[in-house]
Amino acid sequence: MLEIQQITKRYQRKAALDDVSLSLRTGEIFGLLGPNGAGKTTLIRVINRIIEPDQGTVRFKGDLLKQKHLIHIGYLPEERGLYKNMTVEAHAFFFGALRGMTKTDIKQALDYWLNRFEIQSWRKKRIDELSKGMAQKVQFICAVLHEPELLILDEPFSGFDPVNVELIKQELVEMKAKGKTILISTHNMRSVEEICDRVALIHQSKKIMEGRVSELQESARVGEYAVKFRGTMIGFVNALWTGFELIDKEILGDDRFIARVKMRGDNQFEDLLKVLIGAVKIEAAWEVLPSMQELFINAVSVKEDIGK
Amino acid sequence: MKNSWIIAMRELRERIGSRSFVVMALVGPLLVLSLTYLLFAMGENKQQSWKVLISDPRGIMENKIMPGVDKSINYSFASDYIEIADFASGKNYQDFDALVEVNEKIITNKVSFVFYREKPSLNMTINIRYQIERRLEEILAAKFTKLSANDFRKIKQPLQMSFKNAYDPTEQSSDLAGWVGLFFGTVIFVFIFLFGMTILRSVSREKSNRIVEILVATVHPRALMLGKIVGVGLSAFIQFFVWAVIISVGLYFMRETVFVNGYDPANLAQSTTSVAYNEFVELIFERIQFSSMVGYFLLFFAVGYLFYGAFFAALGAVTGSESDGQQFLLPLIALLLFALYSGYYVLNNPETQLAQVYHYLPFTAPVVVMVKLAVGYPEGEGYQLFISLLILLVSAFAVLSLAGKLYKNGILQFGHSVRLKQIFQWLKKN
Repeated sequence: MLEIQQITKRYQRKAALDDVSLSLRTGEIFGLLGPNGAGKTTLIRVINRIIEPDQGTVRFKGDLLKQKHLIHIGYLPEERGLYKNMTVEAHAFFFGALRGMTKTDIKQALDYWLNRFEIQSWRKKRIDELSKGMAQKVQFICAVLHEPELLILDEPFSGFDPVNVELIKQELVEMKAKGKTILISTHNMRSVEEICDRVALIHQSKKIMEGRVSELQESARVGEYAVKFRGTMIGFVNALWTGFELIDKEILGDDRFIARVKMRGDNQFEDLLKVLIGAVKIEAAWEVLPSMQELFINAVSVKEDIGK
Repeated sequence: MKNSWIIAMRELRERIGSRSFVVMALVGPLLVLSLTYLLFAMGENKQQSWKVLISDPRGIMENKIMPGVDKSINYSFASDYIEIADFASGKNYQDFDALVEVNEKIITNKVSFVFYREKPSLNMTINIRYQIERRLEEILAAKFTKLSANDFRKIKQPLQMSFKNAYDPTEQSSDLAGWVGLFFGTVIFVFIFLFGMTILRSVSREKSNRIVEILVATVHPRALMLGKIVGVGLSAFIQFFVWAVIISVGLYFMRETVFVNGYDPANLAQSTTSVAYNEFVELIFERIQFSSMVGYFLLFFAVGYLFYGAFFAALGAVTGSESDGQQFLLPLIALLLFALYSGYYVLNNPETQLAQVYHYLPFTAPVVVMVKLAVGYPEGEGYQLFISLLILLVSAFAVLSLAGKLYKNGILQFGHSVRLKQIFQWLKKN
């Protein structure tokens, strides 16, 4: 769907993007991660043809990305803005027309989304009559109104309450099911784990990691397991001896705990279960994979250490 | 182009829907009408009694003058050719207030000169012109046609009567008509400034509320800029149209009620005694060719607006904040004021080389052309107007192209201070 090849962009002497390549497949949700100032927004602007790269190309469905392709792209920028004195409906007609929609199509699409979000009463409201969160929703509608093949969302969850974050996530998953491709730039790692198929991490203008969420987590596994048990914590610790290391514990009740344990030496998960059986009553046990949050922090701090 | 039009229509709807637009559409023309009324009411209207000598060496007038109702002018005839210097200082002529030159060419070129000692009042001018022209019509009708004098008047060419100071015949005092031209030019620049500021504010607002990022993700920045300029420009045209309608109705109303037609023979008797008819009334109702003035006004306004509008749009795009923009606005305002001054300069010095430069310079052309148009281009030099328009049009496209570059590069720069060096770098980019 979208091929980003060796994009480099410099502002004055500082590189905003340094030889970044990415590939987005049709019908996937792709997470673009990175700390502030890493170059995510620059990359998104390059994809939207808002700025031109110094080097590199962007291909949309095999063709070099041109102005004509932009009507197939929906964009929700990080810094939101609407015309304060225009109504919700007027915004829909304005942005819909710019993306080549007919008035009938715009009306139908607007009806659909207003019903979907149960905000029919907002239709004639001016933006300055809406709260910030409400305006964000209107902007989301304006970005998806023309059913773009590629939807680019820069921090789509910021400014939304948890209920609306879930609502937006649900919509994105449904759009993905309809074959739409979605690129999300976000700091919300939980959302990344929940809805992204693949991610790329950009740091200091370079891409330092790319892959499926599950594969990245697998590749970063450190032999850490969680055991949910009934018994005493002393009994649990005594059973571990020197082959395992207790990292953390969570108290669920008077005699119920979840303990996180790391393997030492050549010990395996089976060995852990063997030593625990009899000492405590095991209710569940599973391997703990690093969260995207941890992967993100590790990757960024490692890169910074190397830089030093 | 389609997207530019969508942008323009949104801009137009926003402008027309604003309260300031409605207020300006009503208050502006009423203010102009009030000022016009004041000028009419306060216009000079002195009563004079004159002795006029008509120099008619060929005896064309046959020592007769059209009997008029105005007894304040006493005509005498001379069968000699009288030098202006003799009239000015000769003892024989000191009793006469004015000399009317009627030579043989008057029959073909319809041109006559009147040399005065003291500037005549408007009524005096009207009466001298009226009585000599009427007499001439009788002579021409009898000599060259079989028509009655009344029928001849329907098809005649008007007499061009130039009033000149006998002591300084070459004096070029600024013509009142020129002031009307300057007024039109000033209206152009006031509109350009007001609506240029609207463009500037609109661009700044879109930058500050970040909506521009969504717009440029769909519309090319140049198309966005053009749409904005066109949309605001259309609202300016609508504003002007409302002004034109209200002012026209107001002037018509004044003409029919307070300041009746002084040239109409039926009203002549009344007008000579009326205190209401003066040179401003004559100027507005008789001498200004409003149809052509308004046509050229719209042309020069449209192209001049594109020319200056591009500057305002580029300024809005390159500045990081509204306050930052103000320091760059000053040179632009200075340029607009300079253009107004150039109109005033040309009004007073129409024949100088500098006046020619101002006439063709795109910054000053809209106002200078209005002044020259109101005074009237000399015979055979009307083409200059079109050269000026062409230069302005080409310049407008050149400025739009450069402004497009600034717009494209500057529109997504937020919260920075503009440096001239950076502006030049952006201009070099594609």
